[in-house]
Amino acid sequence: MTIQRLLIRWVSFTLLCVLFTQTAFSQTHTITGKVTDDKGAPVPGATVTLRGTNAGVSTSADGSFTITGPANATTLIVSSVGFTNQELSIAGQSTINVTLQPTESNLNEVVVVGYGTARKKDLTGSVSAVSAKDFNKGIVAAPDQLLTGKVAGLEVTVGSGMPGAATTVKIRGNNSIRGGTTPLYVIDGIPLDGRAPRPVLYQNATTTGASGLGNLPDADPLIYINPQDIASIDVLKDASASAIYGSRGANGVILVTTKKGTPGQTKLEGSITVADQGLMKQPDILNASQYRSELAVYGQHSDSNQSLNPFKELIQHKLSTNYNLALSGGSETGKFRISLLASDQQGIVKHSSLEKYIANANGQYRFWDKRISLDFSLTASNYTEYLAPVSTDAGSTGNLISDAMNWNPTLRLINSDGTYNQANPSKQVNPLALLAYYTDINNVTATLGNVALGFKITPDLEYKLLYGINYGVGNRDNQLLGLIGQTGGNADGKGQAFVASAKLFSQTLDHTLNYNHQFSEAFSLNAVAGYEYWTTSWRNQSEYVYGFDYNVPGGPTLNIPYYNNMQDGNQGNLRTTTIVDPSVELQSYFARAVLNFYDKYLITGTFRGDGSSRFGSNNRYAYFPSVAAAWNVSNESFMKNNTVFDNLKLRLGWGETGSQDGIPAGASKNLTWYTGYGGNVAVINFANPNLKWEKVTAEDVGIDFSILKSRVYGSIDGFYKKTTHVLFFAPAIQPSSNPNGGQWTNLPDAAYITNKGLEASIGVAIIDKDNLHWNVNVNFEYVRNKFIYPAIGGSPLYLTGSITGQGVSSAFSEAIANNQPVDVFYLRKFTGFDQNGIAKVQSQASSYQGDPNPHVILGLNTDLSYKQWSININTHGAFGNKIYNNTATSVTNLGNIANGKNIAASLIGTQEGLANPVSASTRFLESGNYLKLGNATINYNIGKIAKVVKNANAFITGSNLFEITKYHGFDAEVNTDHNNNGVPSLGVDYIGYPSVRTFLVGINFTL
Amino acid sequence: MKLNKTIVISSLLVTAVAGCTKLDEKLNDSFVLTAGSGGSTAAGILTHTYNDLGPVFTNQDQVFSLEENTTDECLVPTRGGDWDDNGVWRVLHAHAWDATHGQSSTVFNNLGALESDATTVLALNPTPAQTAQAIFLRSLAQFYFLDLYGQVPYRTVANYNSIGVAPVMTPDQAIDTLVTNLTNVIPQLSSTYSPYIASADAARFLLMKVLLNKQAFLNRSSPAAQDANDMKTVHALGAAIMASGNYHLTTNYFDNFGPNNGGFGVAGTGNPSTELILAYPNNGTASYNGVSNVDIDARWMMTLHYNSWDKPGVVGSAGWNGFSTIADVYNAFDPTDTRRGNVPYPAPNGAGVSPISGLNVGMAEGQQKDENGNNIMDRKGNLLVFAPTVALVETDVKTLEGDGIRVLKYYPDYNNYTGTASNNLVLFRYADVLLMMAEADLSGAGTGDALTLVNQLHTARGAAPLATITLVNKSNLYDGTTILEERQKELYWESWRRQDLIRLQVFLLPWALKTTDNPKYLLFPIPAAQLVANPNLKQNPGY
Repeated sequence: MTIQRLLIRWVSFTLLCVLFTQTAFSQTHTITGKVTDDKGAPVPGATVTLRGTNAGVSTSADGSFTITGPANATTLIVSSVGFTNQELSIAGQSTINVTLQPTESNLNEVVVVGYGTARKKDLTGSVSAVSAKDFNKGIVAAPDQLLTGKVAGLEVTVGSGMPGAATTVKIRGNNSIRGGTTPLYVIDGIPLDGRAPRPVLYQNATTTGASGLGNLPDADPLIYINPQDIASIDVLKDASASAIYGSRGANGVILVTTKKGTPGQTKLEGSITVADQGLMKQPDILNASQYRSELAVYGQHSDSNQSLNPFKELIQHKLSTNYNLALSGGSETGKFRISLLASDQQGIVKHSSLEKYIANANGQYRFWDKRISLDFSLTASNYTEYLAPVSTDAGSTGNLISDAMNWNPTLRLINSDGTYNQANPSKQVNPLALLAYYTDINNVTATLGNVALGFKITPDLEYKLLYGINYGVGNRDNQLLGLIGQTGGNADGKGQAFVASAKLFSQTLDHTLNYNHQFSEAFSLNAVAGYEYWTTSWRNQSEYVYGFDYNVPGGPTLNIPYYNNMQDGNQGNLRTTTIVDPSVELQSYFARAVLNFYDKYLITGTFRGDGSSRFGSNNRYAYFPSVAAAWNVSNESFMKNNTVFDNLKLRLGWGETGSQDGIPAGASKNLTWYTGYGGNVAVINFANPNLKWEKVTAEDVGIDFSILKSRVYGSIDGFYKKTTHVLFFAPAIQPSSNPNGGQWTNLPDAAYITNKGLEASIGVAIIDKDNLHWNVNVNFEYVRNKFIYPAIGGSPLYLTGSITGQGVSSAFSEAIANNQPVDVFYLRKFTGFDQNGIAKVQSQASSYQGDPNPHVILGLNTDLSYKQWSININTHGAFGNKIYNNTATSVTNLGNIANGKNIAASLIGTQEGLANPVSASTRFLESGNYLKLGNATINYNIGKIAKVVKNANAFITGSNLFEITKYHGFDAEVNTDHNNNGVPSLGVDYIGYPSVRTFLVGINFTL
Repeated sequence: MKLNKTIVISSLLVTAVAGCTKLDEKLNDSFVLTAGSGGSTAAGILTHTYNDLGPVFTNQDQVFSLEENTTDECLVPTRGGDWDDNGVWRVLHAHAWDATHGQSSTVFNNLGALESDATTVLALNPTPAQTAQAIFLRSLAQFYFLDLYGQVPYRTVANYNSIGVAPVMTPDQAIDTLVTNLTNVIPQLSSTYSPYIASADAARFLLMKVLLNKQAFLNRSSPAAQDANDMKTVHALGAAIMASGNYHLTTNYFDNFGPNNGGFGVAGTGNPSTELILAYPNNGTASYNGVSNVDIDARWMMTLHYNSWDKPGVVGSAGWNGFSTIADVYNAFDPTDTRRGNVPYPAPNGAGVSPISGLNVGMAEGQQKDENGNNIMDRKGNLLVFAPTVALVETDVKTLEGDGIRVLKYYPDYNNYTGTASNNLVLFRYADVLLMMAEADLSGAGTGDALTLVNQLHTARGAAPLATITLVNKSNLYDGTTILEERQKELYWESWRRQDLIRLQVFLLPWALKTTDNPKYLLFPIPAAQLVANPNLKQNPGY
């Protein structure tokens, strides 16, 4: 069945349900009233329903409501997040004022914990829940960005300012020296594959001459989730919480729960936002007059008598828009929500944008006295990335950004006849020509669907079947017209094009049994047991050709993109590549029991057995246990009379989790490629039948508290994590038929990684008056990480953090080394300049020079509200880490001025000489400390508008408003991928897409 | 209890519904090699093995770099924006590299692939001719392991496809193995002129190298005196090569490396070489008898200046302005010695320079000219003068692009070159046979023909005949009456210099731009990853 037909079915089904809920009432009873909190302040947006009926309304800005239901209705139910539900008899009444009691520090709040839910007060593990009202505001391309600075122990780094740029997400440090440090994302119970169906433009190995613009960075794989569909995100940080995800839980788990309909009147919610943008920071380069005076200083003669700002020519100021509509409603036995998003996010660089359309329909239906439940959700999305040529690994040809930074600001970009000035003396790529002649369009259609059928065997025992799919296809078109020059590749004068497609398909099937029973005052049990099957597959196909006969110098100009006319390329130059990843299967059994004694002593035990096709045949199944205990001290009788603590809980947990996602599919087998022509086979990967998951053993000790009548509340956790069976791609033992081949192995037990740290999340209600509220929330994490492997001595096990650019081929900046942090900087130590202006180094040998992993991660958030006004400010920062500024090393280095190129403005007045070699050293290692005003919002609650709009808000949000840092690049919140053979790097910055400051105005409303 | 029953029944139900999956991993675009060859044949893998010779011996950053940049005659100075590459080039010339040197690691792995593929041929029911060629190719890999690392990992034929820990030969075991294997295959290999496959003469040549370097391989810092019987064998092997009549000295020295050195070039681009004993067959198209063209253009791009010549529209014809030689090497030449070059090739045009490009062949020194005889400028607008003086780190912005004499042995055919050159890579050359015989004479063979052999070369190359000849002058490496200096003049930049310096015990002496040394540099380090994986390997002392 095609997706469209499926979609139509779902939509028509849900519409049908909507219609059924709209039953008319013959005899009616109308009640008006006002909902206030315990201090008398109005509670807007509270849900008011009549038991046993479909009637339901929300309170307006002043807390008032009017509800009409059948005459026989007896009970009014009022609920609102943060308050205990109130039930009131309405017999004979027409006016009722309701006072809601706040829930005690949100302790009765229910959090999602994986294959079930738990009351927050029953938790024994470290779980942070963030609900929609606390999410980051502004332009948010993917859900992970909602959490920046919001959760202690969660580090979210946006890679660049590119629309939809990928983020680096780490929970409690760096667990692995290989890939796969990203947490597992689970959306409404469906675990995601970390990959996206975004086609890769593979170049066949023999196509060495493809114009060297490098590879464009990946987009965020969660881009197809509508952030405005998300109700809450739960971050499972310790093993006690994440062990239920077994072999995929080692990096922590992020559970995303989407919004559902609420019982009551059908609601139509909408929002419209418009955003304008600018550069967060100007590039560190000379302007034309500075360039002229530096030419004089260095005795160079490349003044071409113009004055221009090539960088500015790349920048656009287009408005980004976002429209969101959501229709929801239903009764207690049937709820639905349908949402639509249309968004157009413009990049700060011309010709780059992200256009998204996302629809979601979900429903929750209950039958047979609510014993049978049917829940479903379908997300269908289509997005298009228009990509500018800003790659992460461009060599001497550069990318769009470096070409503009390097362009001589006194040299024409456009000749007097309107053509691009390409035959320039310094043989540079003209950035405007590159922008004009390059096209890269990536279109992805992704669907995420799930259906769950539940049956309550007894009131305490429920069986649930969950089936989910994640299917996506992508198409990518790419061309570089033959009118381009100076790239030094096939495109120059000839033109080149790629077409590529990708497909991702994963399926999940879960059977679970949930058992919940209060045996006595003294003891209750909450248990879950289940089975899960998960499979995934991914393929990519790419075609490349060069040598076109139009849109080339001297050829005709035709308005046909090369990628739509591949047959016109010289067919002798056609290269095709298909990559079909081995398909993966995972089969698991799991169980969890939470034992609660007197509401004081809690014990949680979980166990998961995972069978994975990625493990070696001798280790096909792996087992992951965890136990944790908590003591609700405040429930003890001796605490009855204490006036300080409203809540005090101590937690202690231990568990083991695995990281099978770090193991590439096929790693346990002799993976062999048949290379054709000549009958050669090449073993690319040698079998290791003993291959196991990388194991993280984690210990957590925590305290949850609230004091001073819950005015101050928070959690403090100490953690220690140890990764053993460290996964490593060992180069093949020589002699071996493939010099680049190797074998996936687990390093011996003497090798391990530790992450230890302390994290705290503290909230303070500083002012809590009728009309005036001021809350401050601080999230803090201190974490130190180390790789231990005494057998390798002082020499690195592996180098990574490749340095890119002219003059620094095959140079690396980072290492995996014994007794050092993962990815420690490994560089020559710069000690100043000699009398010739040549950089001096302490020794020609590299040594360990600093940590790219932040030691402190900080989030500072505050809300201030006065009557209808509120201000919300979110800041975040990272401290203690270093950044390697690869842009300064090889793009804006001083020697360039002698070659007619521009240089960094920060070089003015240094003692560096023109002949100083371009070389990697600690000279370019900068402090990565930063504190950033991530976003600030001013919101005005308009409330009711006429009779039509029930509630309206107008707001303005500024994002990336300022950054306090000494770092010279565009942004200290940066991570350009500079892996070496799959060993990830961290904290290397190389001519990335510049960071963007945005101002967004918007309105949202409820009809 | 009813409840318990319900739970048990439901659990069973769930398990039944869930069932069990076999967890098969479908590989889709690859397959699992369980046993046997996966469809490979001895012939296919033998061709593959010949292909292995290409990159490891051609590329500027593999065997060539390790054998040449560690000697006096070659260096890659850092020139402002170019060629720092984290110091990898400079540490080689200055003898200051460490265990993380990437080139050392790459070469180790690529030699391993060559050895493994040759061993694979032996496991796939080869014909006797294929067997003999495979044993030669395996010996070649083992010879370079021995030369560069002093340890020779290997696989038995039965374990050809093993990925487990590999046994490692010590130098004496390796020498015994090499001598036995090469001696055995000589009668089985082709005795006709066939430079692109392993021939009897190629095996003789390699055996000469093994025996000449034997004492140095056994004890690098203080080798024992050469064994007279070994030297007699070396001399006899050389005499057999001479007697084959397949080779004679090429009239124009540079025809040995020119675009037509293998006879694949276009008329007018020089004559074929008559000295090729083993060569890699770049023929100007994608492949020759299944052996793929390699990027030999690196051999001129690595040394030429950016403005030297840049054929429009041809990827990679521009120079990279890197590799140079030192003044001592250039100045040691007798001006009449044609091997120094710095002359037009193959013949001057009307403007008195090389046609097409204006580039001089050999050691390019002085003002560079274009094809019309006009001066070429550097990128900063200075005259482009290749000056003999050079520093490891060039500091004067006016001369940093020009300093250092450039060496252009492999001459580009810019007229017909479209990114695929037709210069064969020379691995074993006849002139070296004469020099090895002369050295064997002086080292104990006592045949008394050393001077005759050397003067045979001098006559062919236009240099004045010598009156005396000795092995080496330790107080002057450039003494023209020594075998060492004669080998440099004949074989510069052909990847033999490091072996010669070590064998004649002068590798640790100071020379231009290398002031200090340490015996550890007589060997390269074993790559860290190999040490971790294979406990039979031991890190070489000092690393």
